[in-house]
Amino acid sequence: MGKYILKRLGYMVVVLLILSFLMFLVYSIIPFDRAVAEAEQYREGLKNNPNAVELYNAKVEELRRELGTDQNVIVRYLGWIGVAPINGKYNGILQGNLGYSYQYDRPARDVLADPMKNTIFINIFATIFGLGITIPLGIFCAVHRGSKRDTAIQTCTIVGYSIPSFITAIVFIWIFAITLGWFPVSGMKTPGSNYTGFAKLKDELYYMALPLIVMTFSSLGGMTRYVRASMSEALSLDCIRTARAKGLVEKTVIYSHAFRNALVPIITLVIGWFIGIFAGSLVIENIFGLNGVGRIYIISLTDKDFEVVLLLQMFYVITSLVGNLVIDVAYGLADPRVRVNK
Amino acid sequence: MKRKKLLAFVLASAMTLSMAACGNSGDPAENSSSTSQESSGSSTTPDSSSDQGSSQASGDASTPNGGGTYENKVILGDITEMSGDFRYPGWGSSSAGAADQAIYFLTAGYATQETNQGGAYVWNDTVVKSHSEEENADGTITYTVTINDDLKFSDGSPITVKNYLARLLATASPVAVEAGLPGTAGQAFVGYESFNAYTGTEAEGATKEFSGVRMLDDYTYSLTVSTDYYPYYFAFTYAGLTCAPDGLFTGDGVDVFDDGNGVYLSDNFYEKNGDSYVKAAEIVANRYDVEKYPFSGPYVISEWDASTKQCTMTINPEFKGNFEGQKPSIETIVYVKIIEETQLATLTSGGVDVLGGITGGKETAAALAVVDDVNFSEVHYQRAGYGVIEFDCDFGPTMFQEVRQAVTYLLNRTEFCQAFTGGYGVVVDGPYSPDFTMWKAVQDDIELIDYSFSPDTAKKVLEDGGWVYNSKGEAYVEGATGVDAVRYKKLTKEEAEVLDGVNKSYASVANTDGVTYQTVEVNGEYYMPLAINWFGSSPNSVTDMLSTTLANSSDLAAAGMVIRATTGDFTKLQGEIHREPSYGYGGTPTYGMYNLARGWNSAMYDYAFNWSLDPKYFPYSMNKLYDEYDKEFPYDQKAEKLTLEEAKAASGDKLGMDYLSMAMVYNATTEEEYNEWWMAYIERWNELMPDIPLYSNYYYDVYNSKLENFQTSPFFDQRRAILYANVKGY
Repeated sequence: MGKYILKRLGYMVVVLLILSFLMFLVYSIIPFDRAVAEAEQYREGLKNNPNAVELYNAKVEELRRELGTDQNVIVRYLGWIGVAPINGKYNGILQGNLGYSYQYDRPARDVLADPMKNTIFINIFATIFGLGITIPLGIFCAVHRGSKRDTAIQTCTIVGYSIPSFITAIVFIWIFAITLGWFPVSGMKTPGSNYTGFAKLKDELYYMALPLIVMTFSSLGGMTRYVRASMSEALSLDCIRTARAKGLVEKTVIYSHAFRNALVPIITLVIGWFIGIFAGSLVIENIFGLNGVGRIYIISLTDKDFEVVLLLQMFYVITSLVGNLVIDVAYGLADPRVRVNK
Repeated sequence: MKRKKLLAFVLASAMTLSMAACGNSGDPAENSSSTSQESSGSSTTPDSSSDQGSSQASGDASTPNGGGTYENKVILGDITEMSGDFRYPGWGSSSAGAADQAIYFLTAGYATQETNQGGAYVWNDTVVKSHSEEENADGTITYTVTINDDLKFSDGSPITVKNYLARLLATASPVAVEAGLPGTAGQAFVGYESFNAYTGTEAEGATKEFSGVRMLDDYTYSLTVSTDYYPYYFAFTYAGLTCAPDGLFTGDGVDVFDDGNGVYLSDNFYEKNGDSYVKAAEIVANRYDVEKYPFSGPYVISEWDASTKQCTMTINPEFKGNFEGQKPSIETIVYVKIIEETQLATLTSGGVDVLGGITGGKETAAALAVVDDVNFSEVHYQRAGYGVIEFDCDFGPTMFQEVRQAVTYLLNRTEFCQAFTGGYGVVVDGPYSPDFTMWKAVQDDIELIDYSFSPDTAKKVLEDGGWVYNSKGEAYVEGATGVDAVRYKKLTKEEAEVLDGVNKSYASVANTDGVTYQTVEVNGEYYMPLAINWFGSSPNSVTDMLSTTLANSSDLAAAGMVIRATTGDFTKLQGEIHREPSYGYGGTPTYGMYNLARGWNSAMYDYAFNWSLDPKYFPYSMNKLYDEYDKEFPYDQKAEKLTLEEAKAASGDKLGMDYLSMAMVYNATTEEEYNEWWMAYIERWNELMPDIPLYSNYYYDVYNSKLENFQTSPFFDQRRAILYANVKGY
């Protein structure tokens, strides 16, 4: 097992390097010059200066040197990683420099810290709610397969699965925030409030409630159907027939025998969901004005704040690679038939 | 089996936890809901589709407020992101977030000059005890300003001129450059170059004293403007300085001195660690400070929550008022981030008290639907700016005045404005805001060409301009097809040779119908097609509407003109306009027409150098328009300053854009003279039509009627107007 994990980690480093270079390359070829953008304020300040143009051009060149954008893409990539000097200094990821946000004018790491906390906060709840509802619902549908209730739930899940989350969000805002007034339209806390402790948590949950409901609702369809299919398959196994033939009560058959067998394929999805708590929801965060990474991601892309985008994407690449490894290992742990040591 | 049991247990635990979480989430929602309703007057059932519904919503909203017990608090919202950069928003970058700027504006005050309701710079009488100006024998001018001796920061510490001069000196120094600033502050003053060159050690051409800046006593400073920057109509604005608490812009422990040769900063300001200035990092860190240093504005930041992007401000008890002595009465202002799509619902549900700058047909109509003057009120004003078609005037068909005029005649701007703004906008005929004092002064005398929709006039100006040929050099025939569907113009040798002969190979792009119009050579003469390449940003509703109403209009085709549309992102558009290769410009001018918007933050109208014939000023050129009149009668900054009448007489009444824009600010010495030059400038602009103004939309500020005396204007937005407003009962 240990050898297998080490081997996978080795592959991951290679994949990471290839992907990081590709991503860096993509953002390098987008026509945008940070030096020109940064020099704009300087140019405006020079108006009426007799040497304005010469000073401006010199400034642009100086900024290009400072930023390293006068170098070719390979050198810049190596400098970004931290294995080549830019302006005589090694100051890349390996040295702890995870990039700089020119839009916020501070290290990219600092820009992402708070949004990441908010995203994790809401996603943990959304994941727990999602699993808490879909797993029992999927089991229920599988056990009552073909019944009217199963058909009704299946219809609902197809409808739910087919509606994009932004539509759900808009409809829910209209119903629950505007019409019923139960929840705030957007925001993350009561304006001007200075709550602490439990009162703060309550206020945050109140503001998080509607986006959480939307996220949970949007995720119900897929997972419910997946659990139902997995459980249906488990219920048709010979061992289940044997269990029933032995005279075991139906509850024991379902939860002790069938559900355990159904767990194996579900594990992949469940772990994927938990890994997904780091990924912000572009739609939900933007519609509800939540300061999460999905929102920062869009803002950074729009503002061409590429070092923030790159950091986020690198983070997602790493979590995906680690997540896949965890899933594979967990799969092996859950099902002895699957060997992960090769 | 044990592993499966373990996993089953984990999943079961997750479900239990989720149930527990479900149970907990109910209470706060209920509690918070009631809290929200109390504080905001929410619990609405608005139906924006009918007045009845709106009235109902407003009526509900009034219930909790009806007792007349409002909290002396206002929630302001902005769709832009707050970054926490409140001490100097936009430091070192080309733009600053509007929300950051608003918070800076509310917390930083006591500038010696401020802009008034009309956008004009005025002396701040609350700060300035006296001011004077004196022209010196060497052509420079010295402004002497004395501030009042009873001004204090929010922590009670006194304000002296050191607080003004330290900021000026720091931001003019190489330390500020290392901290990310351009270091151009104070460049108008005598001695700037040598002060800016000083790095902490005396050297040739570098002095630690800023000779043109003097600290005459604790409450008096003087500034001497160099001859490069004076005479200049707005020169008095150079004398306006902003104060900052000790240490904010210099780092702690730095002092300001003046031994008679100019002000200077103590040596520790230039202290170095290796190649870096120690204070540079401190200055950068101070940008985001909201606790260490006091504030000078009407409000102080009492809480900044970076996680939820909310900023709470409370009244600064030491603040003595703005330029009119106006103090705030609203105890607490909360700034929140709002979402444009749901901002109206946020207003009606109490999540925000003021929505500023609502524009656009549907948006305005929806906003006005909730206005009943009982629970929600509005104030509106015409935007200080306009949507525009911008032309490149140095190549292609758009280099010709008659083509630009013809395009203007072919666009029904009244209908366009009506459709785009939903009726909440007007059409202007030049680069001005009707709220400008200059416009108000000259509007009865100014003579502008009426560019009302007229395809016939468009044809006539084209024919008069020589667009009478087809691709074979023969007479243009209306209704022809293929490459002869458009008019051609025979180019003079000069016209063909511009920009290294780009017109000789000029061709239309984005030819979706398969027809490429290009300059043809017939018997050694070059004929250019009337095919304009247009670049529009996307997604952009103006681009979409222009495509329908102009580019694809039958009138355009009937006039013998074609507009080829290309869309892309705004960076590419900027790259083409500024011809910046790093922004995607391919090296050959291609597009002659763009759509974008222009606006003004103040009424300081100065377009000097924007129309210069000198290629070195190209980066400042807006339209690359080089006026023929300027070639015949160029402006010379060193020559005698003529009045408008004298200049007209000397030029044969042919004053070009460069002359007019330069003379407006370098020849005019009185407001009357300035207005005369301004009128002549607008008239010439209107004749040349380097841009087509499309619409000047109205902005609506909709607010909770608990606010009284809230009066915004194009140059006096909510962050300024809130000082004059009060919550009912306070």
